Amino acid sequence: MTHPAEPSPGDAVPRKGDRTRARINLLILLLPIILLSMYTLVLPMIIFTAYSFRSFAGARISDTFSLDAYRDFFSDSYNYSVIGSSLQIAVVVTLITLVIAYPLAYCLWRLRRPSLQRWLALIIFSPVLVSVVVRSYGWSVVLADQGVLNTSLIGVGLIDSPIKVLFTSTAVVIGMIHVFLPFVVFPIYTSMLRMDPALREAAYDLGAGWTMYFVRVAFPRTLPGVLAGAQVCFALALGSFVTASLLGGGRIQLLPMEVYQATAEINWPTASVVNMVLLVLAFVSMLAFNRLSRMAED
Amino acid sequence: MSAPDTSATRTYALGACGLLGAIFVLFPLIITFVNSFSSVAFNIFPPPGFSLRWYENLAAQTNFYAAAGRSLYLAALVTVVTLAIGTMAAYAVTRYKFRGRGLITGLIMAPVVIPNLAIGVAVFMFFVHIQMIGSYSNLVFVHSLVALPFVFVIISVGFANFDWSLEEAARDLGAGPFRTFFKVLMPQIKINFIVAGVYAFTTSFDQVETTLFLVRPGENTLPVEMFLYLQSWQDPTMSALAVVLILFAAVLLVGLSAVIQKRSQVMNILTR
Repeated sequence: MTHPAEPSPGDAVPRKGDRTRARINLLILLLPIILLSMYTLVLPMIIFTAYSFRSFAGARISDTFSLDAYRDFFSDSYNYSVIGSSLQIAVVVTLITLVIAYPLAYCLWRLRRPSLQRWLALIIFSPVLVSVVVRSYGWSVVLADQGVLNTSLIGVGLIDSPIKVLFTSTAVVIGMIHVFLPFVVFPIYTSMLRMDPALREAAYDLGAGWTMYFVRVAFPRTLPGVLAGAQVCFALALGSFVTASLLGGGRIQLLPMEVYQATAEINWPTASVVNMVLLVLAFVSMLAFNRLSRMAED
Repeated sequence: MSAPDTSATRTYALGACGLLGAIFVLFPLIITFVNSFSSVAFNIFPPPGFSLRWYENLAAQTNFYAAAGRSLYLAALVTVVTLAIGTMAAYAVTRYKFRGRGLITGLIMAPVVIPNLAIGVAVFMFFVHIQMIGSYSNLVFVHSLVALPFVFVIISVGFANFDWSLEEAARDLGAGPFRTFFKVLMPQIKINFIVAGVYAFTTSFDQVETTLFLVRPGENTLPVEMFLYLQSWQDPTMSALAVVLILFAAVLLVGLSAVIQKRSQVMNILTR
């Protein structure tokens, strides 16, 4: 009985007939995903890029090549402030999420009781199953002027009158941290699992205290996980639309909202240009993080 | 050796971190739960009184039922499509070595780094351009694109630990490719398959940015309907709906953990 050659990485070079059959198998297996990516990703990206080189005048999109939309975007100083606040929020959210996620991952890693560990993992993971709209709305209830936060702060006596949190960038940042936290905890936890437990023993045997062990041994080894989590968090924060709209209440203007508004106003050239800026920023940050990860692994 | 007292302090500090983290994660969900029983229309805590009026109001909002029905149907279709396409791709990429493997993986994973709204706007312009706007099958394809990267990764993890000699043995004994898949491969990746399916379902059920522009007016999916509702009203009806959805998620989660009894396997998948 013969069967198509399906060389696993360690196999010897397959015979020629087997190779053609393997190629046909491969094509059949990969065709659906290639077609899907073409239809919903590659072609749409080409079309929207083409629209960014059109102009928009009198509620009509021109048919001819034009750089007007780019010129208009980059000559308006307001747009720079929007880019600035988008980047600023993404950086702040990423840093705070890391500060919360790292001890949480460490706790998950060090928990001895399997049942407790399982519960904590489920709790951290559970928000992923709840709609982002629901979670953002939940924070708007918490942060409202007469919400839990203000009521408790006044109750404790820390403040006299309610502080304005909802519809400020603070609310947007808190909401984003909550939504992205699981995506940061798990990469860090994974990098901890990959550590050899013997390292800990060795460090202690050589007389290192916990601080020394953590700073010199454990932390550098979890850096790839930290960077992987930070990368995902930064990308999600940069593109966040629902959380930012619901908790910013239209008062916080970020790049995704600009894309949304321009599209809703049928101004496709402008929408495409802002979309392009958003994509370029996402792409550049991805490259930067890849670079950092390579440095961390050396 | 570290001194025992600092070690005890560290244990408490760590426990506190875990507890605070869990509280932070669950806090807005708990407050939403309390708020849904409020007797007044504005957000005030603690509520001046308790009532079921928001649940009654929710029950009267038929547009939410229709939207929920559409979303569930859509999510079910997306789950089937992504599992089929994702499993095929994961099999191809883990089983074969071929030129362009990196390129294919890159193409599959690309939606992770592209903001969802950027995808949503691009597909909207594309579908209008080719005059295919308003077709519901487009929603299935776009949601599948967004869900596929993680479905692909979760199933690839299953294949990565697979003993391929079992597959060869089955083929040598005369089993066809489909029989081999369902009898030999499938039992090995069952858990990954279920987790990937749940992931695909919830991803589709949660799509707002990719869907806002694609739905026909009056035929919104549930998250889009909720998002638009919140733009105009902020009463506890939304809390009541949120509680229903959180319970739905909780049932999914309990079901999931009942299916997957081995903790290590959940961890393996979660940590990828």
